[in-house]
Order: sequence, then structure tokens, then C-alpha cells
Amino acid sequence: MKNNKSSFGSVVALQFRRHPEFGALAGLIIVFIVFSFTATRFLTIESLGGILAVASELGIVATGITFLMITGEFDLSVGSTFGLSAMILALAANAGIPLFIGLLLAISAAFFIGLVNGIITVKFNIPSFIATLGALMFWRGMLLAVTGGFAVRYWGSSSFLYALNGQFYGGFRTSALWFFIIIFSLNLILIKTPYGNATYATGGNKEAARVLGVLVNRVKITNFIISAMLAGLAGCIQFARFYSVDPLRGTGMELEAIAAVVVGGTLMSGGYGNLIGTLFGVLLMGMVRSGLIMSGAPAYWYQAFIGIILISAAIINTKLKRWSIK
Amino acid sequence: MIENNFLVKMVGINKRYGIVEALKDVDFNVKRQEVVGLVGDNGAGKSTLIKILTGVCPPDSGEIYFEGKKETIDSPKKARDMGIETVYQNLALIDLLSISRNFFLGREPTKKFAGFCNFLDKKKIDEISERALKDVGVKVRDVDEEVSILSGGERQAVSIGRAIYFGAKLLVLDEPTAALSIKESHKVLDYVADARERGLSVIFITHNIYHVYSVADRFAILEHGEKLGDFNKDEVSAEDIIEIVRTGKMPPRS
Repeated sequence: MKNNKSSFGSVVALQFRRHPEFGALAGLIIVFIVFSFTATRFLTIESLGGILAVASELGIVATGITFLMITGEFDLSVGSTFGLSAMILALAANAGIPLFIGLLLAISAAFFIGLVNGIITVKFNIPSFIATLGALMFWRGMLLAVTGGFAVRYWGSSSFLYALNGQFYGGFRTSALWFFIIIFSLNLILIKTPYGNATYATGGNKEAARVLGVLVNRVKITNFIISAMLAGLAGCIQFARFYSVDPLRGTGMELEAIAAVVVGGTLMSGGYGNLIGTLFGVLLMGMVRSGLIMSGAPAYWYQAFIGIILISAAIINTKLKRWSIK
Repeated sequence: MIENNFLVKMVGINKRYGIVEALKDVDFNVKRQEVVGLVGDNGAGKSTLIKILTGVCPPDSGEIYFEGKKETIDSPKKARDMGIETVYQNLALIDLLSISRNFFLGREPTKKFAGFCNFLDKKKIDEISERALKDVGVKVRDVDEEVSILSGGERQAVSIGRAIYFGAKLLVLDEPTAALSIKESHKVLDYVADARERGLSVIFITHNIYHVYSVADRFAILEHGEKLGDFNKDEVSAEDIIEIVRTGKMPPRS
């Protein structure tokens, strides 16, 4: 054993390696404490519910991104998929199609986008960064072209949409329940099943995983599909909050989701990370957004602040990782 | 008729990459409980031959017999299922994964939870991998730690221990002592001898003739995609083999 740390040091190091979410949790606690003092109405049920409502929609997208990033791939097209699925649900609703069928149509479209992303990345062996950047532009362009740039509003009322994202207590919405169910069950799959093991192995070392019998291409394509379907679902859930969707819905969401995942300690190069970190990451971002506004800062500060948090988180996570492996 | 004491018999293997003839009509055999040193200079075709045997790429022509039966090995998984375990130089283990998860990667034991979904049987995974590693003489602090903290020799040991545990009949080692310290190299050589004691056959690919010479029973020498010949250990010295690899010619009979 070339490990020359004291046994206490090595135990701490092991815990850091096992818990990539540690940095995000620490950040979350700090931000929470700071805003509790600076923002007067931060610690109210309404405020926390509002934070969770925004974090849930972003979080469902980020959950898919996490899976894919651990596989060693990217999906930049989630924002477009988000908007496209929401639009499909809106158009279906206005056409009198039952909303449940509309949701299935929207998710199927997302499934198709993910499948195409995966096949193009794997079969033509191009970076997923490029493949999904192309998909981002293509699907957004299609969405704008088909709708003519106009927003669509649904005037009906529906218990189905209420179930998707209705307000049930203070500022709390059902989207939070869906988000928690999704992120915890997918985390279970990631940590506790052979498929999760294959996902980590594929992202950690694709060729080694292949020679050990992991079907790396199938794992990748599946995770592209998971990422796209969750983005589509998140789009539908957001539609259920606003009852309207415009063709630019979800623009920039991919970057926000990636930022949340990276803050949560998942490695961009793949093979390391988990969804608990992503949970803390999206909560952190939601808190910063609300907290800044409630502290009286102009909304523009949000982006600048997130930029700083993202870079600091990446530096801290890298340092922690390097230290804990030594 | 294939004699029964051959574990592997590769006959008339050809492989071409574009205009490069990587393998020209190569025959290659491994007997049961035999350690074969597969040697040759860079580009001699050692890796290609092994890739064909382990299902990584298909031959253009030629036949492979395993335990006397003709087989088409079309995937690494098939090779593994047949009992051929490969320890690649840099591809043996996944650094960011724990030792025990690496140990069982691709064939994890599972248990059902509430009647649905197969969950990893973590307890079994940890216990078995720890016991199996101890069995080949490797002690690790905690099988739940990542492979990245292991030294090169320990990694080879984990790979070899894994192969033995899963009942491999043939162990293929690709440059197992490259980049290892002298002490660790000798440990790996001990593992190889141990694997033979347990009834496995071993193909040992290397540049380091001295390493392979100490454990091999026989040497197959490749040169520019052709086999120069097979030599039993009692027919040649390590220096003879180096000379053959260096000049690409058979040594003058002394």
C-alpha cells in the first residue's frame, strides 16, 4: 500500500471519495445561513416552496444530465427537448386530446430525440458535445418554424395538470414530489444495480468496460434516452405550472442543469458522481436565485453569482478529489 | 483430430488491416496447464493474435478450437463465458470504481428487493472479492476503496485473482510486468506460476524476455505477422530468444 496518510486522514479521504456531494452540501448550508440573515422573507414556507418549485423542474433535467455525464457524455439538447415536449403537450391539449395521451406523445418525442442523439454519438463516433449541440439547434429551429414563434396557451382546467404541478401547501407544488421520486429512484438504480455499475464503468474507462463484457454502446444510448425523456417530462411539468409555453421555453436550461450537476460533484469526464450531489446542486441554485432577489439584488446578479459558484465548486471538488486519492 | 491435451488451437489465422498483413497464416496452440510466452518485437502481431482469440476483433480467415471444439469467438463476453480471461495492460480495471465492483463488473450477483428489480448483493460482492483476493495472496485494506489507490502490481493481482475466481481456463496477460517495480514484477510472476498450479493455462505477452523466461514452459515467436517457431524452454536460453526476436532469424545450430 503506497498510502502514507495517517489512518484518520485516510478514513476522511475515503469518505470524501465516497461522497462527491459533500462540497455541494457545504455550499448549500453556507448559502442558506447567509440568506437567512440578509433576505428578510427567505425563511418562510412560501419562499422555500418557491425555491423548491423552480429547483424541481431544473432538477428533473439535471437528473438525466447526471446519468449521462457519469456515462462520460453530454446532452446540450435538453433545453430544446424541454421546450418541444411542452409545446407538444400544449398543442395536444388545445386539440382536445386527453392530457394523459398528450403527455405520452410529448415523452415519446423526447424518447426519439434521445435515441437519435445516442445513435449519432455512438455509431458515428463523434463527441456528444457536437451531436447534441446540433440537436439543440435543430429542434429549437423546428419548434420556432412550426409554431411561427407564437406562444401557446391552454385555457382549460385539468386535474391531470394539477397532479403534474399543482400548488398544494403554501408555495409547495406537486412537482417537488415527482422530482424526489425520480431522483431517489434513479439514484438507487445508479448506486445499487448492475446497470448503475455498468454506467460508472462505461464513463470511467470505456475500453476496459468493453473488454470486461459491458455493452457500452447500449448503456450510452439508454442514458441519452433517459436524459431526453426526463427533459421532456420536466417541460410538461413546467407547462402544468404556467398553462402556457412559448417556443423559446427551456433556452439555456442545459447550461444551468450542467452547472448544477458539476456543483454536485459529478466529474465532467465521467465515471464519478451521484444524484444526491445533483439534488444539493439544484437546491443551491434555486436558493441563490430566490435569495438574491429577496435580498434586494437585481435579478441579473443571479447569473454572475452562479458563474462564481460553478467555478469555485469545480476547483474545490477537483482539489478534494486529488487530495483524497493521494 | 484435435488432441485432447490442447486447450486452444488456432489454425491458419489471417488478419489484414488495409494493406498491412497483421497476421499471415499463423498457427498457435496452448496446452492445458501450460504457460506460453508470446514474444516478438513491436508490430509483430502479438496483440492482433490475442484480440482475435479474445473476441475483440474477428479474423479474416482461420479456425479456433477451444477444448477440442470449433468455436466462433465474436465478442469479449463470449470469450469470457468460455473461460478465457484477459488482463490487458491498461484496460484491466476501472480506476474510479471500487475494488469489489471491479471484481464483479459484468457479472454482479443480485438479489430481488420487494420482488422487483435486481439489486446488487453488496454484501456478497464485498465478502467474495475480499476472500478471493486473500486466496491469491493479495491483502487490500478495504475492497470498497477505488482501484486508483492500488499500485500497478496490486492491480495485476486483482485482475488475476478475479480470473481465477471466475473459473478461467485460460489467462491472457498482456505486458503484465510493464511499468512495475522489480519487486512487484516478481510477485506477478509468482501469481502466474500459482495460476498454473491451479490448473490454468497462461498466455504471457511481453517484451521482457527475462521475465517470461522464468515462468514460461514454451515460447511462440512472432515476426512481421508470421510465426518464426515454437521453442520449448529446454531448447533455448533467454539470450537465444532475444537474438531471434532481434534478428528475426532462427539461431544457427550449435
